[in-house]
Amino acid sequence: MRAKGYMPQRPFLTLQAKGALSLSFIILTHLRMLRKLRVLPTGAQRYVVPPLQYELPEYREGMRSCRSNEKYLRSTLHCDIHDPLLVAMADRLGAFRVSDHEFVEAAFDLVKESMMLDERPMDGVGATLRRGTGTCFHLINTFIALCRCAGIKARYKVFAMNMIRTWYDAVIQPDPFIKRWYDSLGYFVLEGEGEVFLDGEWVVANVTPEAEWQAAAGTPINKLGEDSLGSWYNAVPGTVMYMESIPYGFAGALDILHTIAPGSMERVNLSILRQQEKGRAIIAEAGGIEAYDRSARARQGPRSPMVRMENKAQITFED
Amino acid sequence: MGYAEYIKGFNSLVQKYIPVESTWTPADKAVYGNSDPYRVPQAEADSIRLDAIRYQFRRHYEQNRTYHQFCKDAGITPADINVLADLDRIPLIPSEFFKESPPGREFASWLANIYTGEIPAVKITGREPSRDEVVNAFNKAGMVVTYSSGTGGRHTFTPRDQRSFNTCEYAMAKGVVSMFYPIWNPQIRSYLLLPNPFKTSLYAGKLATVFYDITEEVDCAIDREIDTELIRHTMGDDKSLKGKIVKTVAARGERKAVSDMIAFIERKHKAKEQIGFVGSPYLLHSVISKLKEEGKSFDFEDRGVVLTGGGWKVHENERIPEATFRKELDEILGLGPEHVIDLYGMVEGNAWLTQCTEGHHLHVPSCYLHPMVLDDDFRPVGYGEVGRFAFLDASMYSYPGFIITGDKVRLLEHCPVCGRPGPVLEPGITRATGQGSRGCGEEVRKVISMDMGG
Repeated sequence: MRAKGYMPQRPFLTLQAKGALSLSFIILTHLRMLRKLRVLPTGAQRYVVPPLQYELPEYREGMRSCRSNEKYLRSTLHCDIHDPLLVAMADRLGAFRVSDHEFVEAAFDLVKESMMLDERPMDGVGATLRRGTGTCFHLINTFIALCRCAGIKARYKVFAMNMIRTWYDAVIQPDPFIKRWYDSLGYFVLEGEGEVFLDGEWVVANVTPEAEWQAAAGTPINKLGEDSLGSWYNAVPGTVMYMESIPYGFAGALDILHTIAPGSMERVNLSILRQQEKGRAIIAEAGGIEAYDRSARARQGPRSPMVRMENKAQITFED
Repeated sequence: MGYAEYIKGFNSLVQKYIPVESTWTPADKAVYGNSDPYRVPQAEADSIRLDAIRYQFRRHYEQNRTYHQFCKDAGITPADINVLADLDRIPLIPSEFFKESPPGREFASWLANIYTGEIPAVKITGREPSRDEVVNAFNKAGMVVTYSSGTGGRHTFTPRDQRSFNTCEYAMAKGVVSMFYPIWNPQIRSYLLLPNPFKTSLYAGKLATVFYDITEEVDCAIDREIDTELIRHTMGDDKSLKGKIVKTVAARGERKAVSDMIAFIERKHKAKEQIGFVGSPYLLHSVISKLKEEGKSFDFEDRGVVLTGGGWKVHENERIPEATFRKELDEILGLGPEHVIDLYGMVEGNAWLTQCTEGHHLHVPSCYLHPMVLDDDFRPVGYGEVGRFAFLDASMYSYPGFIITGDKVRLLEHCPVCGRPGPVLEPGITRATGQGSRGCGEEVRKVISMDMGG
């Protein structure tokens, strides 16, 4: 368990502990307000999982999956690389027949553009593929599982995200109560990307946002190798963690959110659907995905440096 | 008095801000090596600026690991920067970067890791120190960490060393004194429309330190300890009891400051002394309004100066036009428009652009500041175009002062009024709108937070 990274890393534990403490305090002091999170959207507005955007392949005897026990190549928590549906999908994408680059690109495209983002409790890669939707961690999980199944090393990059400045200033900051929730949830609700080992180096794979959702946000359509960090969002410095496995406790945190706030989670999913629709219109108006991406990249602006947090011996802390 | 003697008098008062000449680097020469930063012939200024910026770029590239990687990712090295036209290639840091600091212990590490070179030994008390505690610990160790007032509750933090801070103070004061020639003199009794610089690390307060050296006596509108906690309570919409109390005290404090300033004006007018107001125009505007309300006016007969900075918002959603402000000062205090100038600077840089008294355009100190205006695609545009202001500041030692600001400006090749060499910014700088970003978890945070508030 420890070798595979099931035990959470210290920054993860710190973030989750901070979030749990902060949220617990807020919940205990505002129990009545919790009701708002449980209220489901009315009648016509219920969330329905969108139709699957690909055909489910059938597993056949003889389809291969990687059998190595090497780090980043093996099954880990929620990431069963021998799941029959996953193996069949990897086979369809060309596992063990095409080059690593071609396979990774195909897996990237499948997960990023054919699987949709929605909020739900954690489950495994088979269920995610069958459904075609999931949180960013479901999607990253699926991408990583496909790569590992095909014998290509892959890992998770997880971090706490810094807030959306313009939106925060306009919406969150004015209300200290909302601000407390928002800031507390920031410890709890982490973001992630996948990374895959190609040509001797780790390459970023941000598979979460499909093109329509990115168009709604006005950001470029990211490609394999393009890091979202420092580009269209920033990690809280010191919170970036590389993991072989989703750690224990992570799924629990998602479960807690869904238990406390089922209404809010459904509203998130409805919001995502609306944004996808908006994004489709934006892409159409731009003249297609490539045309939209060109103009979004031109508008994107400069990257920010990523602060590499080295320990400095000159700084000492006295309790 | 000739200008040479005038500026010699100024330099004698600010010796402690000037490094020994034999140790001057190209960056020091750019700041300290001219008698009037706004009258250096353009070709000479270009050459000095290029040397200074190349020097600093190499320093930051070699000694700042964060910036080094940033440049590497952009594919730019010091070997690529040889002529003036190459300066546009130097990787720029968005000003928002300085707002992205983590809390607690990591904040200390963040400050140290964005700093060029090695920080001194810093001892911090507490398991989970507050930002104020970290800032105070760094400053106790000899650094000058400052922060902005924090729009939206997010402060800009900048770790200057003493050398960079001294340069900042000197550059600002020299720019002002040279523009005010021959009006400024050390007998001016000044009133800071700012916090006491020795009781705060707020940049808007700290930067006024030098006025204690170049004027006779100094009063402060806000003479109390100011930290990020107080700012949060005062400026946010904190509905807690503590927040309400702090806001009430702040409002009373402002009313007291207005009466104190009126008393100051009355005393100095009676004594026929020279006065100088330095700082945010909103407080002086409140004083002028109160005097008008009371039917009072004073004629200082141009025995005074007013130096403003920090923007022209006088109340939420209300801006006062600069020309109106100058007219009121003339009518109510007898200080003509040539006695009133505005400064443009920012917490992220040492660069100070100073208005000329003739046309009130903001002059660029061309020996050490390379100004740029960027279009919506963040590419440099020519003179006369409106765009986002960016600059390369050769005076900044402690981190790369190569910044993209959040301000929309128009850069002119020359001042249309005063005839000094070098480019200027037109008055009337506004804020550029920012871009959003989105993540999966961000959606959850947003909706839950709004649901709770709704």
